[in-house]
Amino acid sequence: MAESILSFLSYFWVIRGQVAELTLQHTLLSLAGVLAGTLTAVPLGIFISRRPKIGSYVIDIAGMLYTIPSLAILGFLLPFLGLGWLPTIVALTIYSWLPVLRNTCAGLLGVDPAAKEAALGMGATSSQLLFRVELPMAFPIIMAGIRTVAVLTVGITTMGALVAAGGLGNLIFTGISMMDNRMILAGTIPVSLLAVLLDKLLGILEHKASLKMGVRG
Amino acid sequence: MTGRVEVELQNVSKFYGEDKVVDEVSFQVKQGEIFVLIGPSGCGKTTTLKMINQLVPHTSGSIFVRGKDVTELDTVELRRSIGYVIQYIGLLPHLTIQDNIAFVLQLKKCPKKKQRERAMELIETVGLPLSYLERYPRELSGGQQQRVGVARALAADPEILLMDEPFGAVDPVTREQLQNELLRLQETIRKTIVFVTHDIQEAFKMGDRIGIMRGGKLVTIGTAMDIVKERDDFVRSFIGQGAVFSALDTIPVTRALIRDLPVVKKEALVDPAQPAFKGWDYAFVVDDRGQSLGYISLAEMEGPQKIDPDKVEPLPSSCLPGDSLKKALEEMLWGSRAWLPVVSEEGSFLGIVSFQSCASLLAG
Ligand SMILES: Nc1ncnc2c1ncn2[C@@H]1O[C@H](COP(=O)(O)OP(=O)(O)OP(=O)(O)O)[C@@H](O)[C@H]1O
Ligand SMILES: [Mg+2]
Repeated sequence: MAESILSFLSYFWVIRGQVAELTLQHTLLSLAGVLAGTLTAVPLGIFISRRPKIGSYVIDIAGMLYTIPSLAILGFLLPFLGLGWLPTIVALTIYSWLPVLRNTCAGLLGVDPAAKEAALGMGATSSQLLFRVELPMAFPIIMAGIRTVAVLTVGITTMGALVAAGGLGNLIFTGISMMDNRMILAGTIPVSLLAVLLDKLLGILEHKASLKMGVRG
Repeated sequence: MTGRVEVELQNVSKFYGEDKVVDEVSFQVKQGEIFVLIGPSGCGKTTTLKMINQLVPHTSGSIFVRGKDVTELDTVELRRSIGYVIQYIGLLPHLTIQDNIAFVLQLKKCPKKKQRERAMELIETVGLPLSYLERYPRELSGGQQQRVGVARALAADPEILLMDEPFGAVDPVTREQLQNELLRLQETIRKTIVFVTHDIQEAFKMGDRIGIMRGGKLVTIGTAMDIVKERDDFVRSFIGQGAVFSALDTIPVTRALIRDLPVVKKEALVDPAQPAFKGWDYAFVVDDRGQSLGYISLAEMEGPQKIDPDKVEPLPSSCLPGDSLKKALEEMLWGSRAWLPVVSEEGSFLGIVSFQSCASLLAG
């Protein structure tokens, strides 16, 4: 046992440069996915929170997309987007829709009607209502959705290796095909660490932002 | 009241689908007046109030604010010019008390410094410590939150205030304190206030005039006194048994003051048989400055004579012109006498109130 750990560590040391490079790629791909997902799903969530009828359809569609295996989505995107980071980021975006949409919607619908009415009664325009009352009050719930997505995304980014997007998936899939456990581990451990780290980071950001906006606790 | 009409509803109705929740309501509120809307739960008070600032658009009729039809005004501007205290307080939980109070100034993009100054001024006005500005709403008690709600409505110094059960969430003692503070504040700010409540005592206390609603209709409008005299069965059952006393509590003794009575200067020569004294057993004695000295029995005088200081009896207990008729009547009952002198704080004799004068006020 001790021997195999030692052998893994020495192997890891040898390929550390490659791991670092792949980790960086992986991080960038994941962040791009989370960002693209958030930037599309939050506005869409705002839109559908005002139109509950359309909203339930949109969420159903996002739900269906969510259940498609990632390999299938990538395979489907391939003819349109070719190989590389683009299909990967598009796939990540699609996966992030459901959690972010649902949380954005739930957060906005959960804003205390009395607070909204007070703001409107004092003469808030609809954009002032959105940016000064609704979004800040829904922020913790929206943020929870984004954090869920972040963890999920770091995992799914691994699949990017199959369409030549790079990332830690390279090590994992090569390891699988070569039946090299050390290589698989050298890819998997950084992925897990990355997921935890990103979640923590977003948690800190959330805390900072909510302190600033007063949404404590 | 002779002021300008600030808020006017003309045959205003509101339908929700088939339901007519406000039914042909008309009233006017003049500058500086507190107009109270009262009625059982669900009778349409809040809806009526919200139509004034167009949070709820009316279905038919016309609403005028400062003489202008609200449908022709810019809604955002209209709302910013009207202070609004909502029924469920509705403080913004993500903002500090300061930002809550200054919210309307923020919406109007006033400079930060001005917002801070105004918040500091207003928190004092509503009787909370300055340090509360940094707190969040959930760190305040219900009563404190209601004070902040009132401060917030005053932030832009609006001419008109809409207050929807502003003191609903507090115990009776705090409620009375808040009522008194608002009345005191109103002495100086002289806003035009539409005030919703379902507490008749509060209505009598706060309202210059009161409108009673039932099932969307405005059944009657009048002063506390008009309301207790109302014969309508619904109004009578709604205001309840003790209402006369609540109403009397809102009326200052000066309303039932008898000024036309025998008053004599000390050391004056007095003829008890003079026509002005007819029907009176006593004359009230004052000094040269009108300060009250007491009263003297006319019956015991035999013919014209100078007033004998030894015969002047000091006044029994008296009341102040600002006291309520209820208080005066209690005083009379406890002292078992049918009248009570009214003497100003400076000691000037103003007149008397009597059971008779109270009763004739009630009779109308
Ligand atoms: N948005 C709405 N849609 C449908 N009906 C409504 C709506 N708002 C109010 N109503 C109905 O209109 C009626 C009047 O409501 P309103 O809130 O004005 O009553 P209220 O006199 O303020 O009552 P309370 O004393 O309980 O606050 C009620 O029967 C209520 O159910
Ligand atoms: Mg109401």
